[in-house]
Amino acid sequence: MVLSLSDLPEEILHSILLFCDPRDTSALERTARRFRGAANERLLWKNYCQTHFKFWDRRHDFRVKLSNQISAVDWKALYVSRHLVDTATDRLLDSILVSQTGRIEKFRSVINFGYDAKDGLLRNLLIDSDAEDYLARRYYAKALLTCLHRSIAIPEWIRLRDGDEVPLANALGAFDLFIPESRFGNLDEINGRLDEIFSRLCVEYPDVQGLSSREQASVIASFLRAHNLIGIESEREYHSLEHNFLGRALDDPGHNSLPLVSAVIYCHMARRLRLNARPCGFPFHVHVIVTPQPGFDIDGNLLLQSNTVGGEPIYMDPFRSDKETSVADLKAQLNFLGASPVEQSAFLGESRTSEIVSRCSKNVLNSLQRINQMPATRLVPIDPDCARYAALWSSLLFSNPLRPAELRHHLLWLMELLATDFPSDIHLIEQYIAPIFHGTMEFEHIVESLHVIRAVDEIPKQVKRRSSQLKSVSYHVGQVFRHRRYNYVAIITGWDLECGAGEQWMRRMGVDRLQSGRHQSFYHVIVEDKSVRYVAEENIEIISPAVSQLPPTLVAVAGKYFKRWDSNLREFVSNIRDEYPDN
Amino acid sequence: MADTSNQELTFTSSDGKNLQVPRDVAERSLLIKNMLDDLGDATEAIPIPNVTENVLTKVLEWCTHHRNDPPTTGDEDDSRRKTTDIEEWDQKFMQVDQEMLFEIILAANYLDIKPLLDIGCKTVANMIKGKSPEEIRKTFNIQNDFTPEEEDQIRRENEWAEE
Repeated sequence: MVLSLSDLPEEILHSILLFCDPRDTSALERTARRFRGAANERLLWKNYCQTHFKFWDRRHDFRVKLSNQISAVDWKALYVSRHLVDTATDRLLDSILVSQTGRIEKFRSVINFGYDAKDGLLRNLLIDSDAEDYLARRYYAKALLTCLHRSIAIPEWIRLRDGDEVPLANALGAFDLFIPESRFGNLDEINGRLDEIFSRLCVEYPDVQGLSSREQASVIASFLRAHNLIGIESEREYHSLEHNFLGRALDDPGHNSLPLVSAVIYCHMARRLRLNARPCGFPFHVHVIVTPQPGFDIDGNLLLQSNTVGGEPIYMDPFRSDKETSVADLKAQLNFLGASPVEQSAFLGESRTSEIVSRCSKNVLNSLQRINQMPATRLVPIDPDCARYAALWSSLLFSNPLRPAELRHHLLWLMELLATDFPSDIHLIEQYIAPIFHGTMEFEHIVESLHVIRAVDEIPKQVKRRSSQLKSVSYHVGQVFRHRRYNYVAIITGWDLECGAGEQWMRRMGVDRLQSGRHQSFYHVIVEDKSVRYVAEENIEIISPAVSQLPPTLVAVAGKYFKRWDSNLREFVSNIRDEYPDN
Repeated sequence: MADTSNQELTFTSSDGKNLQVPRDVAERSLLIKNMLDDLGDATEAIPIPNVTENVLTKVLEWCTHHRNDPPTTGDEDDSRRKTTDIEEWDQKFMQVDQEMLFEIILAANYLDIKPLLDIGCKTVANMIKGKSPEEIRKTFNIQNDFTPEEEDQIRRENEWAEE
């Protein structure tokens, strides 16, 4: 008898199938009865789930499933459902890339897949530069992925606002989910990193559980400071934008963080030791307040029964020191600031988590303002627009209704960013921001803006052909130029036969003072700082750089309009042919 | 302990042929290695009851080529599943008819030579890769024994994999 595939024992078929793509396994299953058993084995499909997909939406409870008995989970069904999300994500992204029309609903469909969409989006984000639409694919995959992360962050803030118990690390970690550079995609990942640090602490101080509250408070501060996990290195600019982000502080080798973030890291360790530690509302510099266990003082001594209030708390400043901060010092500082006794007790009391979020939001805006004042520091490792967007969201969700002017101001900014940078978030604005303004003038304004954004998205672009007008428009979509007067480098994304902006704009910009005035071709362009501008033809000096000579930010944002770089023609290849068929 | 790496062992195949094998080559098989560790020394011929001479020769050729490979640790299970890459020498080595391929896999399984078993399984996986059920049947000479109803049902169950 000749030995064949059908004669191999089940265990060897299993080993072979482990090396197969699940689709090949499915094809083998369809050949003959012999292979149905091996091809449906749960262990096999569990393995496929683990090796083919890294990110799982929370609703799957994937970790729990992994530790369950193998028979408790239909692994094949799980794999198949996840595979279908993956292919649907690809299809939706393809369709987003093909046409400028109807993108918002497609964005929404991808986001509705939750964290399950992440593997597919990452694959598209990391696509090789030999793909014919790699710039567009990367751009929209990134837009979707960051939107997905925000769709996880914002509901966490909503829960906090609505009075649910939200851990400090989640409330602050939500800021990181707005920042692609922080590399965290959900709050479990941030908590996981904090828990790793806690495990290291327990290894280094094996007896820490048995210490008194006062000793534990000091051990945590010593440990975090000795390993440089909190605080800011001396040579660094205190207000740097990246110091505001918890995940960034955990991930970056320098682990630099503002006192507020340092305090939250400290409190996470303390909580794991069942130590009652909370950030304290001290002005300018967040401290930590450590309260003794009920019925005991901070050294663990039993209090007299008549003492129902509990022992006195101690104050820590882990950002600056391993040691306790004396209450007398803190009070002296407050006196110096002229705080009333009522204010003093508030400043020395625990901060609510929502107050910590508000405070972080203000810190971020403060850091951003400094960036604007000092253009030299613009080269930060974090996208300022994303940071601003995070701060505006949190500010609006936790705003003080007594300051309507600030609220209106932040809303205006947010709506502007939505239109220019985050159009995929329109459903988040509808769901969470609009209701805040219900019954006010602003509500109408929001509804109107959203309506306009949706209408622009739904109506097919007006087609602009060149045929008869070819002579009067010298340049075309995709060309790179330097502005003759302002010297910036930009890409042409559209054109008009003559200036199409309103009379007011033309007067403000002095269009009639141009040599050829308003009756020359005008171009829509995208600049390296992501701004969109409108430029007269006489100000355009076409350049033919190598792509490596262009600012990376410009090449990245080019994906919004272009498929790829053409290194022969030295220009970008249009992805907006539905609007400009002849470029 | 005496240096035993130059020691020559004798294997007896299932069809009664004797083969001389250097000890370090033989120890690529964990089955043999564990046996020698238990016995200390093997002065008599070791019977390999499940493997014929021509297959055993082929397996020993592989073991000779890989005699200096670092031992497998066993904790690489996750990463090794991800790739069906096979190094060039092994690819050439596996260019044999299907019967020999399956014989090598069975022998590697019996003798507990994990890396060789993996290469065999990868080779088969690569032969299945990207094929339709009909193409797989042709490749491996598989008889379709489904009733039309069964076939229809299985096709529907596996619709997700088509595209």
